[in-house]
Amino acid sequence: MRHPKDKGLLKTNSRLEMELENGVQRWIVDISNWNPSPHCFSFAMSFLPNHEFVELEDQKRALVSRLLQYALVHQVLGIPFDEIIIRRTPEGKPYLVCDNMKLAFPNFNFNASHHGDYVAIASEPICLVGLDIVSHSVPKNETAYEFVQNFSSYFSSSEWNHIMHAGSSDEMLHIFYRYWCLKEAFVKAMGTGVGYKLDDVEFHHMNWNNIFVEVAGKELKDWKFWLLDLGRNHSVCIARGQPRAATTSYRTTLKQIKFDDEEYYHGLHLPNASFTFRTVEDLIQVIYGADQVPSDISTKFDVSEDEGCERARFVQQLG
Amino acid sequence: MASITASSVSFSASCPLKQNQVSNLKKVSLSFSGKSFPSLRLQPSRFRIACAAKPETVEKVCEIVRKQLALPADSAVTGESKFASLGADSLDTVEIVMGLEEEFGISVEEESAQTITTVQEAADMIENLKAKKA
Repeated sequence: MRHPKDKGLLKTNSRLEMELENGVQRWIVDISNWNPSPHCFSFAMSFLPNHEFVELEDQKRALVSRLLQYALVHQVLGIPFDEIIIRRTPEGKPYLVCDNMKLAFPNFNFNASHHGDYVAIASEPICLVGLDIVSHSVPKNETAYEFVQNFSSYFSSSEWNHIMHAGSSDEMLHIFYRYWCLKEAFVKAMGTGVGYKLDDVEFHHMNWNNIFVEVAGKELKDWKFWLLDLGRNHSVCIARGQPRAATTSYRTTLKQIKFDDEEYYHGLHLPNASFTFRTVEDLIQVIYGADQVPSDISTKFDVSEDEGCERARFVQQLG
Repeated sequence: MASITASSVSFSASCPLKQNQVSNLKKVSLSFSGKSFPSLRLQPSRFRIACAAKPETVEKVCEIVRKQLALPADSAVTGESKFASLGADSLDTVEIVMGLEEEFGISVEEESAQTITTVQEAADMIENLKAKKA
C-alpha cells in the first residue's frame, strides 16, 4: 500500500500522475485557414491511401484527421512513425494496433472528429473517450423547426422539450446541435451504441455544465461529459467513460477493460485537458521530425506562400 | 412478391424476400458516416438483403442524396458511392433516409437507418420495404 508520507513514493506517485495526465490530450486544427498549394496537398495526401472523397473539403478533413492520429500517437507514446499501425473496427472506429505491452498507459485510446472548419482528436489513458464536433449550420432547404423535427425520435422528452421551448429558431438550433453532439460523443466512445436507443439516452446539465447521462432512467455514474463552444458556431463534446461499455469489436482493441474501483475513479477524474490548437505544418513536423524525413519526398515543391509546404522543405533540408 | 424485370439484375430466380433482419436487432442509432475515418456504422454485409434494387430506384436515391448533400448534378454518385465519401455526416444520413421515406412511401426504423452506408444499400432496403408493403 502506498504511504503518502514516504517521499520516495510521493515522487513516484506524482510522476505516475503526470504520466497519466500526459495520456489526456485534446488537439484541434482549424482548417479554414489551410489552403495548400496543389503540390503541398499531394504531399500531405500521401497520408491518405484511399482518395475516395468527392469534395475537396471532405478530403482535407479526412487527411487532417489522419495526420492528427499519427502525430498524437507518435508524440504521446513515442512510437516511431513507421511503426504506428492504425486500423479501424468493422464499424469504422480507428484504433492503435499495439503489440507492445510496455506502453505507459493502462488503456490508451483516442477518438477523432471533424465537422465544418475543425478537425480534432482526444485521447485518454484509462477511460474510453469519444469526441464529436458539430457545426451549427442553418438548414438550407427548410426552416429550423422543420429541420429539427426530422430528428425528434432521437431525443428524450425532456431534451425535446428543451429544444422546442427555445426562445428563437437560432437558439433552438443551438440547443439541438449541442444535444446531438453529446449523443454522438457518447456513442462514438463506445464504438457504436449497441443496446441503446437514443431516445432512452437522456442528458442532464446545468446550462451545459455538470453534464451527466441517464440511460433508461438510470444515471451512468461512470461517465463524464464536457461540452465547449468553439468560435464560429461550432460545439465540441468529450465523453469519458467505462471501457466495459465498449462494443464487442472495439473491446478487442483495448489493452485493459476491467479496472478496480480506485483506479477507474482516478481515470474518470483526471483533469479534462483544454484543447490545444495545432496547425497542419505542426503535425507534419511532429511526424517527420528533423531527422526522419523520408528520402522520397519530392524536391520539386514550388516556393509557395503556403507555410506548411515551405516548412516541410526546410525540415527536409535539415535532414 | 416484388416484380423483378428480367433485364434489371441477374440473380437467382428464387429471390427470397427476407424480412428486414435489422429491425429485430434494436441496435442503436447514430451513424457517423462522413466523420472522416470514424464513420461508425453497423457492419452492413451481415444484413445484406437478398434482392438488388432496380436501376431506377438507385437513380432516384442518387438524386435524393445529391440534393441532401448539395452536390452538383454532374458529381460522381453511383450505387457504390458511400455516404461518407460524399461528405454525409450523421445528420445528413438521417435526413437522406427521411427523404427516401417520403419519396417511396415507406417507413424506416431508426435502427435500420443506421445500417445504410451506400446508395445501393439504401436502394435495396427501399425495394425490400416496398415489397413487404405490397
